[in-house]
Amino acid sequence: MEFDDKIPIYYQIKNDLYHRIVAGDLAPGEKLPAVRQLAVDLTVNVNTVQRALSEMVTEQVLTSKRGVGNFVTQDTTKITALKQRLSHGYIERLYTQLHALRLSDGEIVAAIQEYMATTNEEE
Amino acid sequence: MTNAIEITDLSYRKNTKTILHDVNLQIVQGRVVGLLGENGAGKTTLMRLMADVAKGAKGTIAINQETDGTKRRGLISFTESLRGFRPGSKLSQIRDVYATVYPDFSAQKYIDLTTFLQIDDDLELNKLSRGTREKFIIALTLSRQAAVYLLDEPFNGIDSMSRKRIISSIIKWKADDATMLISDHYVTEIAALLDEVVIIKDHTVCTHKSSEEIRSQFGIGVEDFYESVYGGDIHDDEL
Repeated sequence: MEFDDKIPIYYQIKNDLYHRIVAGDLAPGEKLPAVRQLAVDLTVNVNTVQRALSEMVTEQVLTSKRGVGNFVTQDTTKITALKQRLSHGYIERLYTQLHALRLSDGEIVAAIQEYMATTNEEE
Repeated sequence: MTNAIEITDLSYRKNTKTILHDVNLQIVQGRVVGLLGENGAGKTTLMRLMADVAKGAKGTIAINQETDGTKRRGLISFTESLRGFRPGSKLSQIRDVYATVYPDFSAQKYIDLTTFLQIDDDLELNKLSRGTREKFIIALTLSRQAAVYLLDEPFNGIDSMSRKRIISSIIKWKADDATMLISDHYVTEIAALLDEVVIIKDHTVCTHKSSEEIRSQFGIGVEDFYESVYGGDIHDDEL
């Protein structure tokens, strides 16, 4: 993973893990690699990884078992909520930008539908 | 949180020339800290004073509360130039010297590190490339189970593969409670490794900040921050 040095690294690690959890690459209940292993894989400081994981434990996206490790939550409502939060963020950005181009709501919906139709055709 | 390093009102002159003045620095145990500054800023001298290799400074240096020079030396593992060894020495002979001199030298850690860093310790010192020599110095330094590690420009003039291996070996083998100070004048490639940066300018500590705080407060990377501080784009009242 390549980091943007202008953004806090723990934040980028969290974001990467959120996406892997929502996409199912990290399944509910799955054990995460050890903190040091994650740090080696990402080539970042161990304390930075620890900070990212602790925050995700506080957010209840991960659960921590003392001396055993960190696990993705088994509570799928938490994962669904996370998915909504992430997609809401993307939609908000897209909507704001298209709105700034003075597209009406109807034009935005039509443009997205047209885009989906052509991309699905190509596939 | 306990401080592994506490430097108070440290000043050092050499032949009437000021090398360091009024240095005050506290570093919490377990942190990895970049010591940044231009060549000649006093980074190496500061490390030499901490490790009691250079003497005669005013002020105090405490490592795990120990101010006595000899005791400090036992707590610190400092990268050295290996200039004291015969050029024809085998690396395994240098390892044996280290194992004898330092009671905290771990033979197992040395094997793990040399294997990971791909060092053949049958080689002789004068046959090593720049990169392998730096890797060997790192292997020796990290093989000690020290409280504090001082790495003086370990990435200077080496190829990027060796640099990556060294960075990985630091992440892999630095104990959680061990504290590490790494000096450099170029930080981009090690930025993600550093919890904090200390910038030395005009012979003293100009700023000491957490890397993540730099990113969130200024929205810039550690290298840009360093350049801004040196170039005067970021002023003291903004720090």
